[in-house]
Amino acid sequence: MIPLYFLMVLALYGAFLYAPTEREMGEVQRIFYFHVGAAWNCFLAFFGVFLGGVGYLITRKQSWDHLAASCTEVGVVFTTIVLVTGPIWARPIWNTWWPWGDPRVMTTMVLWLIYVAYLMLRSSLPEGETKYKYCAVFGIIGFLDVPIVWFSIRWWRTIHPVVITSSGAELEPEMIHALFVAVIAMTVLCVTLVMLRMAMRLNSSMAEEVTDAVQRV
Amino acid sequence: MNPIALTWVLVGKDLKIEYRSRQAYLTTVFFALLILVIFNFAFDPGSPATREAAPGILWVALLFPGIIRLNRSFQVEMEEGTLYGLILSPADRGVLFLGKFLANWFLLIVVDLLVLLAFVIVYNFSFSVQLLWIALLIVLSALGFSAVGTLLGAMVSTIRTREVMLPVLLFPIILPIILPAVNGTQEILLAQEIQSLGRSVELLVAFDVIYLAAGFVLFDYVVAD
Repeated sequence: MIPLYFLMVLALYGAFLYAPTEREMGEVQRIFYFHVGAAWNCFLAFFGVFLGGVGYLITRKQSWDHLAASCTEVGVVFTTIVLVTGPIWARPIWNTWWPWGDPRVMTTMVLWLIYVAYLMLRSSLPEGETKYKYCAVFGIIGFLDVPIVWFSIRWWRTIHPVVITSSGAELEPEMIHALFVAVIAMTVLCVTLVMLRMAMRLNSSMAEEVTDAVQRV
Repeated sequence: MNPIALTWVLVGKDLKIEYRSRQAYLTTVFFALLILVIFNFAFDPGSPATREAAPGILWVALLFPGIIRLNRSFQVEMEEGTLYGLILSPADRGVLFLGKFLANWFLLIVVDLLVLLAFVIVYNFSFSVQLLWIALLIVLSALGFSAVGTLLGAMVSTIRTREVMLPVLLFPIILPIILPAVNGTQEILLAQEIQSLGRSVELLVAFDVIYLAAGFVLFDYVVAD
């Protein structure tokens, strides 16, 4: 926990004080560090959902379902961060809150819809193997759908800035440092949150077992 | 019994059920027509703006009745507990999926083509060879729609709130099918010359293959109990 606090403070310092103000965009560009940090972690978390789903269907061990469920919750939170920070930046820069033609914006939105639907499916199924199985199946389809959504929207034209290209990042060195720290901090935050949620699930299923055992006695 | 014959038995069963309870099927068609009419009133009837929005309206009128169709597909199995009968039968799970999927696909195409017919009349488009292209888009998108829909329909059939859960789960997943279908339709109906229709069809075919394969593989886990 302590390294996480340290990293978050460092990331805030990097984004707001260390990195220079962008010449064209001004102060609003500083949102970029957390926007990118959150966006990368969405994919990381949703990959965790996919992994948890496959793991559960193969081994039928509940811990895999814990992983998938926790990753979905955290992933949805991070996707929400991306979808909130994006428009705040886009309004002054692109002069629109929501550019419908952009593949990244659209894909992120569809991602959010898919995994919120996953959480709804979870909460509407009674506890048990069927629930874990259905959620695993939906988590797998959802993740497979991500590249398909991307390609489907791609042939609409894109206006999203491509910051990191194959020829290297088009950013000031200070900006790259700040981005680097922000991405690391957000990743540590994401992993910590997933682990906390998993521990919570494990504890609650253990508590249930104890309650059952006591009731039987 | 070989798998192909078995699949046809299952398809025949579903079609027979729908034929004997025509009421439900006709209600679905009627619902689709209602959507067309309501949109015509929501926009200014006969105005250029309505014409511009027409391809989108057509797809709304195709998608929402599709949900009703899919919900019904497993509802009839649940009512008399026949789904358990099917699962207990020696038939392979893949065959079960194909049977349900093919029946849904066929029944969807029939509703959709009737809707297309009504759409052309209500929205004053002319009957031409180009409508065959829209029919092709409909057939292809109905394929992906029923593939994912059959899988998810089986999943939500036991949930109390299944009527609303199915669209919530299905629509975000099949968005990649809706996009090329709507774009293709727009091009056919409104564009001066056709440029990217071939691309739309290619994308639809590719996505259909992926969805069908995913449905076929994952259905095993959904019904195995």
